[in-house]
Amino acid sequence: MADNGLTCSLKASYKDFTLDAQFSVQAGELACIIGPSGCGKSTTLQLIAGLFAQEGGSLLLNGQDIGQKPVHQRHIAMVFQDYALFPHMNVEQNIAYPLKIRKLSRAKRKERVARLLSLVALEGYQKRRSQELSGGERQRVALARALASDPQLLLLDEPLSALDAKLRKHLREEIRRIHDETGITTVYVTHDQEEALSIADRIIVMHAGRVMQEGKGEDIYHNPASLFVATFMGEGTTLPYSLIPKTLVNPGASDPFVFKPMEGKHTIFFRPEHVLVQDDKNLPLAEYLPHLSFKQAEVQSCEFQGDHYRLACSWEGHTILCHSSYRPRTPMVTLGVRINRIREYVDGESIAKRLLSPVGE
Amino acid sequence: MDTGNEQMRKANNLQYKRFYRMVPLPSVAVLLLLFFVPLFFTLSSAFITEEGLTFLRVLEVFTDSYTVKIMLFTLWQATLSTLFSLLVALPGAYLIATYSFRGKRLILALSAIPFVIPSILVVLGFVIFFGNNGFLNRMLMSLFNLSEPPLKILYSFKAIILAHTFYNFPIIMSLVSSYWEHLDGNCESASQTLGANKVQTFLRVTLPRLLPAIISAASLVFLFCFNSFAIILVLGGGPQYTTMEVEIYRQARMLGNSGAAAALSLFSILTTTLLLLWYNASQRRLARSETYQNSKRLLEKRPATLSGKLLALFYTVSSFLFILGPIASVVIRSFMASSSRSATESFSLKWYRQLLSLERATGHMGSALGALTNSTLIALLVALCTVPVALSMCIAIRRREGKQSFLELLGMLPMTVSSVIIGLGYYLISARLRGGLALSYTLVVLAHLVIAIPFVLRTILPEYRKIPLSYMHSSLTLGAGPVKTFLLIELPLLKGAMFTGAIFAFALSMGEFNATLTLANSSITTLPIVMYRLIGSYNFQGACALGTILIGVCTIVFIVSEFAKGGSYGR
Repeated sequence: MADNGLTCSLKASYKDFTLDAQFSVQAGELACIIGPSGCGKSTTLQLIAGLFAQEGGSLLLNGQDIGQKPVHQRHIAMVFQDYALFPHMNVEQNIAYPLKIRKLSRAKRKERVARLLSLVALEGYQKRRSQELSGGERQRVALARALASDPQLLLLDEPLSALDAKLRKHLREEIRRIHDETGITTVYVTHDQEEALSIADRIIVMHAGRVMQEGKGEDIYHNPASLFVATFMGEGTTLPYSLIPKTLVNPGASDPFVFKPMEGKHTIFFRPEHVLVQDDKNLPLAEYLPHLSFKQAEVQSCEFQGDHYRLACSWEGHTILCHSSYRPRTPMVTLGVRINRIREYVDGESIAKRLLSPVGE
Repeated sequence: MDTGNEQMRKANNLQYKRFYRMVPLPSVAVLLLLFFVPLFFTLSSAFITEEGLTFLRVLEVFTDSYTVKIMLFTLWQATLSTLFSLLVALPGAYLIATYSFRGKRLILALSAIPFVIPSILVVLGFVIFFGNNGFLNRMLMSLFNLSEPPLKILYSFKAIILAHTFYNFPIIMSLVSSYWEHLDGNCESASQTLGANKVQTFLRVTLPRLLPAIISAASLVFLFCFNSFAIILVLGGGPQYTTMEVEIYRQARMLGNSGAAAALSLFSILTTTLLLLWYNASQRRLARSETYQNSKRLLEKRPATLSGKLLALFYTVSSFLFILGPIASVVIRSFMASSSRSATESFSLKWYRQLLSLERATGHMGSALGALTNSTLIALLVALCTVPVALSMCIAIRRREGKQSFLELLGMLPMTVSSVIIGLGYYLISARLRGGLALSYTLVVLAHLVIAIPFVLRTILPEYRKIPLSYMHSSLTLGAGPVKTFLLIELPLLKGAMFTGAIFAFALSMGEFNATLTLANSSITTLPIVMYRLIGSYNFQGACALGTILIGVCTIVFIVSEFAKGGSYGR
């Protein structure tokens, strides 16, 4: 697979920041790099594009080492956060810019620009000046310009961050559609986890200059490799392992759990949508399902979210987040989480079902 | 991987950066040559006499009671001029920042004039407007039926201070008011809701926030007044009002004592450098102190009270009168002549006919046409040469953003040395070389170049900084190499700034007086030099005709710079 798509091992450092990231993107994939600000995701893009000096490592694109090539010979297109449309050129001149550099004839340029504009659904925009365009239109023109020279790789640096929420949703569908139509290998940088989950074939989570986890959106959301990934990609509750004996409800066998204590700080994690909320004492759980039960949890806040309620409950000094389909009628509720929804971590690293391994699951 | 390979990889990787590293080298060489060679000549004649290296000369000059008096006077007049400028400027800044009224735009536009007007023109305008036979006196005499001119201010200390105030208060006014306008007005509102009245709010909230801007503008004006030359030379009218710059000129060119002049310039260079460092620091403080608001602070209100209205009216009328009056009177006088000594003056094109050699010219008017062509040619040459030099330096400076740029400092270096001292340096060179007229003119051009480069740099650099790096990066990722990117993206975007810079350089050279006078021998004629000679021989109308041409040039610059303010691409 090495000669198909992008394989990189990037090293760079400046001041008090070092970047050391390894990941790969298969040909035709749309990969999202996501991470908090300052995690090095934009630097990674600049390293791939060649705008920032690389200190060793390797950069393979479709089997070729491009790490030594200057920026303008890499055939990598990039859409910048501010779109960087050249203000002294109109839409047509902007899109034709890379074609002109490659000395295409005027007729070919015209034809290609028209085709690209129809791809991004901006037919007839040729003569507009970039100042007259709305944010969303600028973004699409920038995308068309980046695609004009048939690059081998497309880099998008937070392309939607300057737009309002509604437009963002529409445009990310558009980007996905354009990606599917062109089939171009794409690396997309964002700090918005919802955006990453909805658009990407593959997600690369970065933190402090390192890749924390790489994989499909579902895998990352449901099986986060570390507590950092777990809390960054969506909400959840982190609790110490020590409260398990107190809360465990094990209706089945006498002692079906293997408990293997390890060195380090043991924690458990679960997502709010996996918590059952009940305002009377009986949880509607099948009797044979082992679960944790938090009795007498006090509702601290209850926010209406449209399709559900988001609750923050306090139980013995811990805060537990949960989603409920109705507003609890009593200030005290009982919360329940099934064992198989719980993820376990030692010192923040995942230890897939090592402490608790129920028999029969 | 061994380190050699690593380094090579890094170099290849960032090939486009190498381009930007090479670009400024020629200009840096040119600037160093043009600036340091004359400076070297100046300093060497301060320390080296026939007997060899000596500090005696410098010591002598600095301990001489006469020079100490001059130093003190230089500082004193600059302080006083700055204070008066502040006194006149601050109410205006308040009016402009707080109110909208008829004439506001006019004041703002007028306040840009002193930035572009040459000092010799200020001098001439002053003589024509405030002189014993000037417009103001004549107006007052006919108004109040006086037989004697009531204002006798020319050729005195008062004249120096007045001229400096007129020349400099608009600078403070426009700098402070533009800062004031962009201050977040909510702070004042917050102060008032917290129980402070208007005066308390002004003293405790507004003034402390304005102070950095006021200090910064005032130190700039102090610097200008400290280095003022033409105004003191002509309006001071005598040895008792001699400043450093005038004394350097006098020692070098009238007394033939260039060694003493060089020693004196040491003091001037030192003080100017300190002032510039201080100004730079105050600018940085200014940039740090407030987050600059893009929107206007409050909905502008009209002056409500009668006193407010009167103040606005008074300010508009008087700034109109005092800024435009001297300039207008120069133009008017240039079209007037008397047929005989006793007859009253009437409209005449006599001076222009003499200027264009259509009529037999007397005295210095004979060299006027030559001066006009000389000045135009010199200015064209200067404009054409400064822009590429400044541009290539801008490219390099832009690349090293973030680090304190050595190049930017280098570009501003000629500002640390007053134009009289630059003139002195080139004069000392010309004394060594003993070339012909062509050499003399070459040296004039070079001196003008050194003086113009920092200004052109200051014009282009901010525009360059407005271009986001992503434009260049974008172009590179789209397949254009660094040279193509420069030609297709940066150059077109900087067209306007380059044009403005060229126009500035042209006007600066057209009106350059200090350096030219210091370095010129009698055979060199430029427009301001001939004007100075005409003023010296009391042919004011002739000087006015030349002055009017200079005003024409300045007007073009003024209009261009006003257009350039709003003319860049909307980003």
